[in-house]
Amino acid sequence: MNPAMWISKTGVQAQDAKLQAIANNLANVNTVGYKRDRAVFADLFYQVERPPGARNDDNTVSPSGVQLGNGTRLVGTQKVFTTGNMQTTGQTYDVAIQGQGFFQVEQSNGEFAYTRAGALTVNDEGRLTTATGMPIAPEVTIPVNATNVVIGENGEVSANVPGNTEPVQVGQITLVNFMNPAGLLALGDNLYQETVASGVPTEGVPGQDALGKLKQGALEGSNVQVVEEMVDMIAAQRTYEMNTKVLTSADNMLQYLAAAVR
Amino acid sequence: MDALIYTLMSGAERSMRAQRIHANNLANLETGGFRADLELATSQPVDTGYGYDSRHMSQLQANSVSSREGVLRQTGQDLDVAISGQGFFTVQFGEGEAYTRAGHFMVDQDGQLTLDGRPVLGDGGPIVLPQFSRVQVASDGVISIQAPGQVETQQVDRLRLVKPDPAAVTKNSAGLLVSRSGEPFAADETVTVRSGHLEGSNVSAVEEMIAVMSLTREFEIQMKLYRAADAMAEGGNRLVGG
Repeated sequence: MNPAMWISKTGVQAQDAKLQAIANNLANVNTVGYKRDRAVFADLFYQVERPPGARNDDNTVSPSGVQLGNGTRLVGTQKVFTTGNMQTTGQTYDVAIQGQGFFQVEQSNGEFAYTRAGALTVNDEGRLTTATGMPIAPEVTIPVNATNVVIGENGEVSANVPGNTEPVQVGQITLVNFMNPAGLLALGDNLYQETVASGVPTEGVPGQDALGKLKQGALEGSNVQVVEEMVDMIAAQRTYEMNTKVLTSADNMLQYLAAAVR
Repeated sequence: MDALIYTLMSGAERSMRAQRIHANNLANLETGGFRADLELATSQPVDTGYGYDSRHMSQLQANSVSSREGVLRQTGQDLDVAISGQGFFTVQFGEGEAYTRAGHFMVDQDGQLTLDGRPVLGDGGPIVLPQFSRVQVASDGVISIQAPGQVETQQVDRLRLVKPDPAAVTKNSAGLLVSRSGEPFAADETVTVRSGHLEGSNVSAVEEMIAVMSLTREFEIQMKLYRAADAMAEGGNRLVGG
């Protein structure tokens, strides 16, 4: 059969996967702390053919040989960790990370996960949690009746407690960093998990070493750029279309062949 | 049997194989840094002695790549690097080295700079970055980092950039470019890169579509000639058979 059919099939499949990544990015255009996915493609292996004893005429400089490609494949999706737009909300428990770093949260199974979504809340026990209710680690508990909770750039959480004129420190938010953040596994719910590719997390105080500072009263928006996604979508759709055209052409060739043989 | 049908066969075979090259180019329309494969029909005389002067078989030759530049796209990532003008990045491939235009570099867990899992080579072998808070790639390929807590940047290594003659490169089975002679290319200081950009595929969709269409039609004509050859043979059979 005509191998061009299978080759264009890989092209169609790749564009299908790309469209899925674009759709997901666009769906998350308003998700706080979302990082866009980028589909990375590579060409499939080549069949390098050198017909034995093949002759070349005098005019051709290159030695005879044929390289037949086998199409394209999706190598993977890469999370793009550029900073999203900062939105000022003025809310006490909205914290944005200005620079590198992740908040560390404790999942229900006791394992740690990492997030950049800083829309924090306080649960019934006074613990600082993410919007989905996962407690921040190390634990930060806001005392009952505390007022004027201030989260400093260095992660220090202080509040006015009845009976004290001076604000008292009630906790410390730490951040973690990875050698290769793009290697983190996206769990959904804005959470990431450590993998072999990401390296081990290094914990530290915000603003120190490579870690970013915290900004209270602000949120980091999604880093999806709508125009870019739209352009990508058009390109993906047209590439898809062109690959199906090749499929039709390859089919036509086989049809001519079958008609010739009768 | 008339040899016409065999001559035709070589032409039809070439059309079908050439179609495959163009299908592969179009499938890689969105592959970053992809170089389009060029395809050429060459004629090959049937060299078996007197009487075959009119028989030239058609043969496919496809072992060179287009050196046209792809479109640069801004991505804003520090480790996305595109080459402006001619030139290639060097990556490790087995024991030797291979070349590519794709520049979506990633740092692995050990700080090694990789491209789809293959180590990227610098002047001093594979590039390994220490812990950094910022990384920069200058236009001459020099990679410098800002260590955590430091203000000054420090130079780590320099990307090994090469600029061979376009005719001297060919693709290997992994789709990477290699030297045709097998000798590694020398580093070239004149190659400039742009950080924060990625180069797209250099496949021209229009050219490929036109090629696909004309090859399909060529194939159709060749099939018509098959029938003509068949009809001639049939006519001969009828004469003999009465």
